[in-house]
Amino acid sequence: PTGRGRPSLAAPSCRMEAELEPRARRLFSPAELLAARTRDRKVAQCSQGQKDFIPDGSEEQAERLHRCREEHWQLLAEERVERLGSLVKAEWKPREGIVELKSPAGKFWHTMGFTEHGRQCLLPEEALYLLECGSIQLFYRDLPLSIQEAYETLLSQGTVSLLQYQVFSHLKRLGYIVLRFCPSAVPSQYERQLNLDSYCKSSGKHHRKRKRHSSPRLQAKKPKGSGTPPECEGTPKKASDSCGSPSHPASGRSCLPEKSKESDPASGEVESVQVPTDAAQLSKPPSRSKAQAEDYGKAAGDSCSGTHLPRWDFNRIAFPNMASDCPHTFLPQPDERLLPENVAGREADATRWRKLVNQKREKLSRKEREQRERESRYKSSVNADREVRRCSNWQEYKELLKQRSQRRAGRRPSHLWDQPVTPLVKPDQVASAAAVLQQISVLQPSHILDGASRLQEDTEGMKIDFSVYQADAVANFKKNDPGKPYARMCVRRFDEQIPSLRAVKQLACQSEDVPVIFALVDNGDIAFYSFKEFKLPVDIYH
Amino acid sequence: MIWIHVLEGTALVWSAEEAREIRERFRLVGTLVGALARKPRQNAHLGLPLQLLPEEARLLAELGAAVLVRGTETQPPAEGEEPTQVRDWLLQGARTPAPASPSLLLSPLPDTVEDSGLLDSPFVLPHDAMMVQLPTARRCLGQVERVDWTSPSPDWPHPGRPAHEARYRVFRELWGRGYYLSGGSKFGGDFLVYPGDPLRFHAHYIALCCPQGDPLPLRTLVAAARLGTGVKKTLLLCSPDAGGTLAFTSLQWSGLQ
Repeated sequence: PTGRGRPSLAAPSCRMEAELEPRARRLFSPAELLAARTRDRKVAQCSQGQKDFIPDGSEEQAERLHRCREEHWQLLAEERVERLGSLVKAEWKPREGIVELKSPAGKFWHTMGFTEHGRQCLLPEEALYLLECGSIQLFYRDLPLSIQEAYETLLSQGTVSLLQYQVFSHLKRLGYIVLRFCPSAVPSQYERQLNLDSYCKSSGKHHRKRKRHSSPRLQAKKPKGSGTPPECEGTPKKASDSCGSPSHPASGRSCLPEKSKESDPASGEVESVQVPTDAAQLSKPPSRSKAQAEDYGKAAGDSCSGTHLPRWDFNRIAFPNMASDCPHTFLPQPDERLLPENVAGREADATRWRKLVNQKREKLSRKEREQRERESRYKSSVNADREVRRCSNWQEYKELLKQRSQRRAGRRPSHLWDQPVTPLVKPDQVASAAAVLQQISVLQPSHILDGASRLQEDTEGMKIDFSVYQADAVANFKKNDPGKPYARMCVRRFDEQIPSLRAVKQLACQSEDVPVIFALVDNGDIAFYSFKEFKLPVDIYH
Repeated sequence: MIWIHVLEGTALVWSAEEAREIRERFRLVGTLVGALARKPRQNAHLGLPLQLLPEEARLLAELGAAVLVRGTETQPPAEGEEPTQVRDWLLQGARTPAPASPSLLLSPLPDTVEDSGLLDSPFVLPHDAMMVQLPTARRCLGQVERVDWTSPSPDWPHPGRPAHEARYRVFRELWGRGYYLSGGSKFGGDFLVYPGDPLRFHAHYIALCCPQGDPLPLRTLVAAARLGTGVKKTLLLCSPDAGGTLAFTSLQWSGLQ
């Protein structure tokens, strides 16, 4: 008895040994290996014609079935035989959970694998797929692994499950390029607008590392909402170099907690400033830009900035108005505490300067003059309004507008507006039939991403597993900069619950504008499901 | 005795002979989920391993025809000396017959062995030109451990789950009547029921398990019946009850004549 059995089966273990005799698997003899070299590489379709409806016990049917089966078993019994020189040697490293290549990689290196410390490495699912294709030879403790052993060894580590591997290999066999999904590496729409994602390429090293260690442990450290992780998105080169130059996974990981700690005070600061003004509709892009601006300031300027509260109360500081209509021209000497060390401040009188500004009269062309004349008949400048000039800040101006609209509202006929049933539409509110329809519509069109950024983290255990890129992009594919994927996959079992709308929204939000496809695996059969967007037809064409 | 290897609750069969026996002797189909050795980069024909439904694996275990096992350590300790043996043999130019060993993998092309008598100078086959077999199944099966299919465990979590138990009862009954069964998710049901081997026959029924007492909304029924009609199959509602009997109801869509 090997002593590995479970305690409850300890007694019958002798019998167990007798029943489970070790069987030697069939290994090819030299003649068979030679035969394998010259075997046909094509797989014929089932050559027995269309299927029958019902078994009728005839000889013909039995004969066709027999032939079909024989072909089937013949194909299954074949084993992989490859030339030793065309096999890339690879070794499984269980502690790191990756496969290291011991001889130079082949053509697959173009779309798979990554480099670490100068070694070429593969993720476990990539290595297993290549082993099944007959491109690599996988070693563990100096002996090559069979496919079965590779399945049982590589897939039991918890990084890739059997289900995920089945979807991965299915897509790879179809020709797609499949990469693991890294949530922090997705540039948001706002970042793409600002062209920040092109700056992210410099921190490509971070991408690689995080891709490998995309464990929930690391993901949990990064709050997704307002505390944006500054590592990947718009990290200034200085900070990334200091963190990335000793490109060792341990230091990389220790860098991340530091940075996330830095970002938390920044996000805290951002929140304390923003919450009083706009608590309800805190939309994503402005808050992230603020966080990034703060981080830029912090990282680029001083590394020891510990100030977390604003030092100035902007409500009480009045900025000097140097415009031509305002007499404020004298600026006193600034407080020495606010200035850097070797910079001296002095007072300034702006009168002389003001006289030099705007001396040339603006000359309008004839066309512009005519346009101005026409407009002056019905348009008037906002600043010409005396009541507006009396307002000294935005708050007062908004108050004025509110008062004006209320005054206008006061002119509503009471027989219409004071009844329990009021009109739906006011005459000055609508300019077209479409606007009227909009006012009276019951269903509003909604987009999948509406309100998605405000949802909490918990996604009912669903997460995006892979990013899939088109097969025809292989020629231009760059591993460090894959670009926008064709779709993102979420792998689930067929008998699990259908995702709720909330979970779908969260996944769509994580994936930005790339569609999310659900790969449902039912005991080996894979089916792909996704939600499609469409617009309900509208009566009025506007 | 068939060995069913269990991996994370999935039942896999790695041997082509066993897969054949399962299909021809026991009328169980399963699904192939691996790459085909001859042509690995396509999805039309897949190869080993054969994945069995939990119901199929349980049926084989109940009949006493199979055992559920799981792999433990990859390398048995006795193979420590193997690599050196092989290396020495290779260095000798591989002209002598290979050392007899159940786990030997490398073989030279037979050309060199046969022609050795004709050449004057010893011919050393370049290492790279040798053909190597990448075996599908484990070479040495000594390092496996039995899994108890009657009690739930992390490797085999199905026993005791009500959904699994209901499905198994339906499966066993239909299999006992001589049908071939396979997974039915493609058609929105639990199983597809074939009159003969799926290689040669189309399915006749879509079996849907509805345990007694579970509510069955009418729209589900209508959707399932419509789907069955659309693909020219009959919908079979299967109801296992607590008493041990099974009730089968078949639905066919007929116009109001």
